[in-house]
Amino acid sequence: MSMLTLHEVGRDFGGLPAVDSLSMAAEAGKITGLIGPNGAGKTTVVNMIAGLLKLSRGRVELDGQDVSTMEAQHLSHMGVSRTFQNIRLIKEASVLENVLAGFHRHETTSTLSSLLGLPSAFRERRALLRRSMDLLERFDMADLADWPAASLSYGHQRRIEMMRALATEPRLLLLDEPVAGMNDAEAYSLAEIFRDVAAQGVAILLIEHNMRFVRRLCDHVCVLASGRLISQGAAETVVNDPRVIEAYLGS
Amino acid sequence: MSFFAGYGPLAELALLNMVLAFSQYIVLRAGVFSLGSAAFAAVGAYAAAILATRYGVPPALCMVIALVAGGFFGAIVAVPLARLRGVFQALATLALVQIVLSLALNWTSLTDGALGINSIPKAVHITEAAIAVVVVAYFLHVIGMSGIGRGFDIIREDETVAVSLGYDVRKHHMIAFVLSGAIAGLGGAMHAFSSYSITPNEFGFHMVVMLLAMVVLGGRVSIFGPIVGALILTGLPELLRGFQDYRSIMQGALLMLSITFLPRGIVDTVLGRLRHRSLSRGASAKDRDGVTI
Repeated sequence: MSMLTLHEVGRDFGGLPAVDSLSMAAEAGKITGLIGPNGAGKTTVVNMIAGLLKLSRGRVELDGQDVSTMEAQHLSHMGVSRTFQNIRLIKEASVLENVLAGFHRHETTSTLSSLLGLPSAFRERRALLRRSMDLLERFDMADLADWPAASLSYGHQRRIEMMRALATEPRLLLLDEPVAGMNDAEAYSLAEIFRDVAAQGVAILLIEHNMRFVRRLCDHVCVLASGRLISQGAAETVVNDPRVIEAYLGS
Repeated sequence: MSFFAGYGPLAELALLNMVLAFSQYIVLRAGVFSLGSAAFAAVGAYAAAILATRYGVPPALCMVIALVAGGFFGAIVAVPLARLRGVFQALATLALVQIVLSLALNWTSLTDGALGINSIPKAVHITEAAIAVVVVAYFLHVIGMSGIGRGFDIIREDETVAVSLGYDVRKHHMIAFVLSGAIAGLGGAMHAFSSYSITPNEFGFHMVVMLLAMVVLGGRVSIFGPIVGALILTGLPELLRGFQDYRSIMQGALLMLSITFLPRGIVDTVLGRLRHRSLSRGASAKDRDGVTI
């Protein structure tokens, strides 16, 4: 069974369908690409899956369970995590604090012991700090742990977003243009990390413009144009599909 | 020594203002634009003053009751107001201050109206005020370091991200309201026990602006922000005693200047610069090491 399944999903804005009758799936342990020209509705799809936008039609299933009407906060606890197309961090907080915020799902200290500063709260903080540092090492950013997030380069800020998303230890990871604005070397070093994450059994849905990157990384690619699925399959087949070429270049 | 003796009452006032400023600080830290601290302070002050003068309850117990009453009032208020955002929240909490104020003015059988409550025993001196500041600051620091503090920070910065990471925004806003209410309740009670008498107008618009100014001027993230803000805005009128008539103008001008040139407040700006400097120094030292090896 697929980790993520969309059945005939649709979303209207002011009566106009932004996404319509979209059916697709993302498998655990695989990287699924979602591509399409600007305005195709890719981010709308991610927002619907993540629970930030309500569906107008259709059904979203996570590991066989219908989650169509679930709120973002609960979906996060069920293992859905995401990054944002426009980077959204706590700008003045350090890299480490930003990543730490991602561990919320794994906090076990009660509200009361946090409020009273009981030893359990401090123990948990230390443990989570260690796990955050492990993530920083993996992304080769341990040296920058104490820097304010906003003082770092674009590429580094994207990495912070990814670390924060991975800190939740998701089953389904939605990456909204994770390598936009990066050069190829930076992008490919992240590609290795994505492969590692997928290899651990996480389903990754990757939204991307960079076709080379998608061809190199994705096991399966879905192409969206004007809110509809126009083609899907292996990356090589899809990029040679006349309908896809037409959508990108115009007829 | 006589110098300090002369400034004792001023220092006591500054410390009491710090407690009230903490109440304003904690809601702003959580991204709640509440101006209700003055209302919570009024509830605490009146609860303590009435219990002490009419029922002879010991001051220490009065202050505990005021703290609980403030927190409880905060929780009740949070039910309708935690769902509001930004300017709507500010207006609604300002209306709350007005309601509490007119209750204090018109419910004469309970509050003695505009005359206020007099001959409250003097139970709070500079020592008690200092202890309260340290204890409240310690708890706010601990909360700031905990998962709840992380929730506050991320909710203030970006609610969409917060829910995407599984944070319960409503719960965190409730906690912020309760903490703000409890701290202001304590601060109001201490004010009553420090100044012999309270009148309704002390808890009006002037206090709303003063507390907001303290936190904005001092800084909204570091716990030292409200401390520095309260220190400056309590001490300033003394320094400008010659300009007594223009006190509000000076205070307003200072607030405008600090918002324009130090939008993060004094403490957060200074701490940010210090941190940046020490980090750059560390980084360049590392570069040098790299070159020599």
